[in-house]
Amino acid sequence: MKSESVTRSIMIPFILLSLFCHSSQDGNTGEHVVLLCGPKNLTLKSWDQTIQATWEDDPSCSAVKEELVYELLVLVRDQQVHHDLVTVTPEQIGLSHLWTWTSHRALECDSPSVLLSVRYRNYTSPRRQEGTLPGMTNSSDPEVYPRDPVFQVGSRATFCCVLPAGGTFTDMYLVGYNRSEGNITKINNQTYSLSLVLNQPSSPSGTDVKCEATIHQQPTDNGVTAFIGYPPDDRELQCETRDLESVECQWTVGRDTHLPTQYQLVGSAYECFQRTCRGKEDVSTGERSWKLRAHNELGTVELTDSADLMTRVHMLAPESVTGSTVNHRDARLKWSWKVQGYKDLNLTCEVNLSHAGPQKPNSGVGLDSTVLMNLIPNWSYNVTVRCRTTQHPWKWSSWSSTFNFHTKGDVPDALDVWMKMKDNEILIIWKILLEKQSHGHVLDYTVTWSNIRGTEQHNTTTVTHNHVTLRLDTTQQYVVNVTARNVNGSSSPSTIITPSSSSAGLNPTGVRGSRMAGGGGGFNVSWSSSPAASCGYIVDWCPSSSPSTVTWIKVPQTNVFLKNLREGQRYSVSISACTRGAALLLETREGYVQEQRIQGDLFRALRSKQTGSEVELSWDQIPLTEQTAFIQGYVLEWSDRDQQDNNTAVHNVSTDEPTSTSLTASDLKTSSYTFTVKARTALGECCSKQLIVHVNSGTDNWIRTVVISLAAVFSVLTLVSVVCCRQWACIKQKVYPPIPRPLLTDTWLRSTGERSLHVDQGPSEVDIMDAPQLLRKPGAQVNQPPPNLPPPLRSLPAPAGLPSSPFRGAFQNLSYDLMMQTEDQQPPEGHTAEYPAPTPPLDTAQEEPGSHMTCDLTYILVPQPVLCKFTPLMN
Amino acid sequence: MAERRTRGTSGSDPSRTTAARATAIAEQLHHESCILLELYRKKEKLTVGELVADRRLVSVPPPSSQLDTGDTLWRLHSALLQCRSLLERAIAKEEQELGGGKKGDYETMRKMVKDRLSLLLINTELLRAVDGAAVLTPNLDELELESPSSLFELKLWIYRIFKEVEHWSKTAITTLQGLPSVMDKERARGARLRSMRSARR
Repeated sequence: MKSESVTRSIMIPFILLSLFCHSSQDGNTGEHVVLLCGPKNLTLKSWDQTIQATWEDDPSCSAVKEELVYELLVLVRDQQVHHDLVTVTPEQIGLSHLWTWTSHRALECDSPSVLLSVRYRNYTSPRRQEGTLPGMTNSSDPEVYPRDPVFQVGSRATFCCVLPAGGTFTDMYLVGYNRSEGNITKINNQTYSLSLVLNQPSSPSGTDVKCEATIHQQPTDNGVTAFIGYPPDDRELQCETRDLESVECQWTVGRDTHLPTQYQLVGSAYECFQRTCRGKEDVSTGERSWKLRAHNELGTVELTDSADLMTRVHMLAPESVTGSTVNHRDARLKWSWKVQGYKDLNLTCEVNLSHAGPQKPNSGVGLDSTVLMNLIPNWSYNVTVRCRTTQHPWKWSSWSSTFNFHTKGDVPDALDVWMKMKDNEILIIWKILLEKQSHGHVLDYTVTWSNIRGTEQHNTTTVTHNHVTLRLDTTQQYVVNVTARNVNGSSSPSTIITPSSSSAGLNPTGVRGSRMAGGGGGFNVSWSSSPAASCGYIVDWCPSSSPSTVTWIKVPQTNVFLKNLREGQRYSVSISACTRGAALLLETREGYVQEQRIQGDLFRALRSKQTGSEVELSWDQIPLTEQTAFIQGYVLEWSDRDQQDNNTAVHNVSTDEPTSTSLTASDLKTSSYTFTVKARTALGECCSKQLIVHVNSGTDNWIRTVVISLAAVFSVLTLVSVVCCRQWACIKQKVYPPIPRPLLTDTWLRSTGERSLHVDQGPSEVDIMDAPQLLRKPGAQVNQPPPNLPPPLRSLPAPAGLPSSPFRGAFQNLSYDLMMQTEDQQPPEGHTAEYPAPTPPLDTAQEEPGSHMTCDLTYILVPQPVLCKFTPLMN
Repeated sequence: MAERRTRGTSGSDPSRTTAARATAIAEQLHHESCILLELYRKKEKLTVGELVADRRLVSVPPPSSQLDTGDTLWRLHSALLQCRSLLERAIAKEEQELGGGKKGDYETMRKMVKDRLSLLLINTELLRAVDGAAVLTPNLDELELESPSSLFELKLWIYRIFKEVEHWSKTAITTLQGLPSVMDKERARGARLRSMRSARR
């Protein structure tokens, strides 16, 4: 009842007022009513940088039968910063209205006002409402706004710093940004704004925005932490089952948002962690769908997926992989399943074998074993297994843990044998077996050969290296078998038939040889097909400088690319036809993959030889190892060194013979010449070497010969003279011996005519015997003085251990101390020729019978006794 | 006096041993908290201006020469307890608001400081027990519990907590190092008083 009376008390004046207006305006009463139409109950709210305004229509607006247009003006310090219109349809009149607007600047910085007015048709109501957001409360520190904002990378942000009263602004910046990137604006004495483009995502702890100021003479600062990142952009949700009991949903995570991002699988109780959501599920329910929501402060992304989980079985890896049987060339693998449900599924499993790669997959229900074929004997293998369902292949399981096994050993594989002929020798060579071919350590190789006709016995030799040289009768063909042996036995023999000299065989003589050019790191060799080739062709090649390092390849076609060859190395390539008998050499080639400029000293032993007016320069044969390009010839240039001007003529001579080792310059004058020798290659001249030669005239040579001859003669004569001078005494003794004066005594004068007869006939035997002191008596001791010799003047002490002798000091060198009686030393008249003389150390064996005295020409050395007879001569 | 002599010669005074061990732990804690402060300052690129305007978070009675050993120990123990409480809150808050990045040296050192502080607390507790003081848990009601209102304030708040740990670890070193001599004096004084009383009787 009370409410009814209140309503009446309100309605009655309203009705009366309406009636009054209606009657007084003569038909314009409606306009008078709507004059009162306007907003009421305007309220403002704000969060972050958003203003929300709510208001209602004045009841008078209900009379307006047309749409109302509310105009909102946002004012900051009486300046309009935003203008907006809100249209209210007649049906909405009387309801509450809502308007929001987001400022680019923190609202705390501006304290904006909202002015709300309404108009309809062309009439603007005078009724307005204004609201103002409360400003920030006063603080003792600078305050930065907005607080803890979130921005997207690349967006423009505006921060403001509100100083306390009396504060002085110093600076405002974002940590990690250049100061120049921001634009600072003074809004009023207490407010400053910083505007900049945020081009760097923030760290997990945000990016600080700092405002520095001076407050009460104290520098201080404050700030806020902004987060700058990206909205989520995850994609590709995929749900699957691994254990047939639960579901795993995964998705591709987009770029790092740099913001906390929540993930939720909508409508499920799945637990989400990082990039996976998991939950228990009945996998046999058929098709179903999932929705993932990724959300952060900058946005939300929803991903969906739908599938029958039995078509999305992502198996777990096989467990406990082992080899149940391991043989020489096969093995059987077994594994187990952690999920028992897998045993009912049709599975396809793939085995990855080290050195061999993935094997052909096997399939079967609950597959848990497989057999590996074609394994290499004596070989270590690592094997892993992975599986997936056969009926609905979804994803392979991850690879199982590795199982290692080693196959049993076996005899070696057959050898690849080839041969090279040179003169009468045949080099049988075979490729060393690789580890996967030898099946164990090769102990030795056995080479067996016999005449192809079988008329000879088998010859056998065993070697440990990969070649053997046979000296065979080249008129016949031989069958050569080579086997390799390891601890498991010998390989099957590899047979090669040697050609006979009567056939073309492999003898390069008479076979067409040519040069070839390489490219791309090798030679592209092609040749004409041969009707003799019944089993393909054999191409062998080696560096021309080392034929023993030959290698070969057997090909069915008539071309091959030989690769991995060195540039600047000359290679010899032979092409042979493979026949049922001996191989037939078709052609040989020689070339470089790429010729390189010859480096180094090519003409190492360059020498010259003048013959008349010609000078021949020669050098050693240039080894192939130094020829990094084909030498096409040599050039010899020379110029006269005595003509130093620029117009000096340079002469040259050349040869196109690569094997040449000399060149001759002719018509040379007597002068000094500079000779330059060079090699010519396809890359130009190279290896220049100079030699300076002085060319002499013929007269000069004659004079030189004469001078040398005269000098030689003079030298000989001088030598003879010196020798003669030094040995003059002996020479004189031999050529002109002193003649002792005859001793004429009375006795002698009274002697018979028989004695006179002795004198006339020269020294008699008796006279010779008259000099007994010079002869050593048989059996007399050497160095023993004759009885009538006077005692020595001095005596030197005898060396220890030797018997003392009074003559040891006086006759140190008996040959040197030999005394020779000259004319001047002859005894005085009246004396006989029996003068004392030291006994020379004569060897009785060398002593000639009848000799009287020795004389040594080279007495300083070992005495060479010369017998000098003291023959009394008559004056 | 006899008791004192016996302790001195045996070298097995439990309070001395515990004090020495606690001092060593405090020294280690101080060293590690200095490193933690430096790591944090670098991580958050804090400038000196922000750091000077700090204020105390740990609230204990002011130091006084009138405090006996038990009171001194209680004061220290109370401060360290507050430090640990603040540190635990700081770590939790930081992980919640600013975590998510890779864990590095800073996080390792932060955990190490927290564990070391707990160890020091155990030892100061033991020391108080040895000294005969009642093992009363200091009141943490006075601890400032209001949380920072913005992330930037949170960063400064965390820094101030680390600074408190550093300050009180340093104080602990000084207090614990001077503890044996003070305890000896007090024992001597107590013995004199006892002998005087017995003489009067």
